[in-house]
Amino acid sequence: MASPRIAAENVIREFLGRIKKDPASPLDAPLYADGVGLDSLETAELSALLEDEFGSDPFSSADELPQTLAEVLDHYGAAVEAEAV
Amino acid sequence: MADYDPAAHYDRVTRAWALLMGDDLHYGYFEDPAEPVATASDRLTSLMIEHADLAPGLRVLDVGCGSGGPASRLVAEHDVDLLGITTSAVGVDTARGRFAALDLSGRFEQRDGTDTGLPDASFDRVWVLEASHLMPDREALIREAARVLAPGGRLVLCDIIRRREIGFLELRERREEFAVLRAAFGAARMDPLSAYAEHAARHGLTVDVETDISAETRPTFAAWRANAERHHDAVVDLIGADELDVFVRSLAILEGLWDDKTLGYGIFSARRAG
Repeated sequence: MASPRIAAENVIREFLGRIKKDPASPLDAPLYADGVGLDSLETAELSALLEDEFGSDPFSSADELPQTLAEVLDHYGAAVEAEAV
Repeated sequence: MADYDPAAHYDRVTRAWALLMGDDLHYGYFEDPAEPVATASDRLTSLMIEHADLAPGLRVLDVGCGSGGPASRLVAEHDVDLLGITTSAVGVDTARGRFAALDLSGRFEQRDGTDTGLPDASFDRVWVLEASHLMPDREALIREAARVLAPGGRLVLCDIIRRREIGFLELRERREEFAVLRAAFGAARMDPLSAYAEHAARHGLTVDVETDISAETRPTFAAWRANAERHHDAVVDLIGADELDVFVRSLAILEGLWDDKTLGYGIFSARRAG
């Protein structure tokens, strides 16, 4: 069974493909502007999708919005857990 | 399977939108909420013309010229030397065809309003009618307008504006409403009217008009709704029932956003010294 981090990554990448952003974006890519290119509405949609899937999301629960894919995934578990699976 | 024809698609969409929004394809400035949208949208163009202070021979850059509707009025009524630019190749062709049919003189080119490639100080007027909300970087648009304006030249702009901050949690809660707007009108980003004025001042322009006309444009949505009812079958034939439904749903959403002062409409002009 995939870790929450891997499951979240799969959900995010599928979402990126659906909204015509690069689903293979590197983990350290900035989420907004010149990186992945999420606008505010797409970010809100991703936030809601992640909360629906996993019960929580890093966008609505943090004081500051995550800036990279890696920071989003950190909400669902540390990277070392994914490597151990 | 039929090949996708961008020109034919653009033509169908443009004809549908003309039935829904009126031939000018933009908001109206209503003095009477019951007046025809054609009268009101013509008045908005007239308001822009008034602020542009046009004269024969002036070099006018129409940024986001669409299919050349307002541009045709600038040339026909004021005999300006016009270049219309849009990122749409089909829009360029359509505008050229419109001008040819009207026997008007004007040029249309496919260029990006935020990075035109045009020479410095090569225009007397920059005209941006309801196009800036479709550009991701408003400051780049203003900076570019200031660059291509000759000394003494004027920038005139009208567009949908944001009248208050929308926090992330509110945006998330209302995401379905904004998704309907995106489906109807495309990805858009609205800034406060003050932001346009700040960008202009930062890039050497002196602002002389900065007016919120949200109240005067609000009746536009009822007018468009009436058109949707009046032209229902024709619009469905052109773009389908789902597209028409999205458009109609967007109107109530926009009325709500006008009424809670989230969005509105503004007009702005600024002059380059010289």
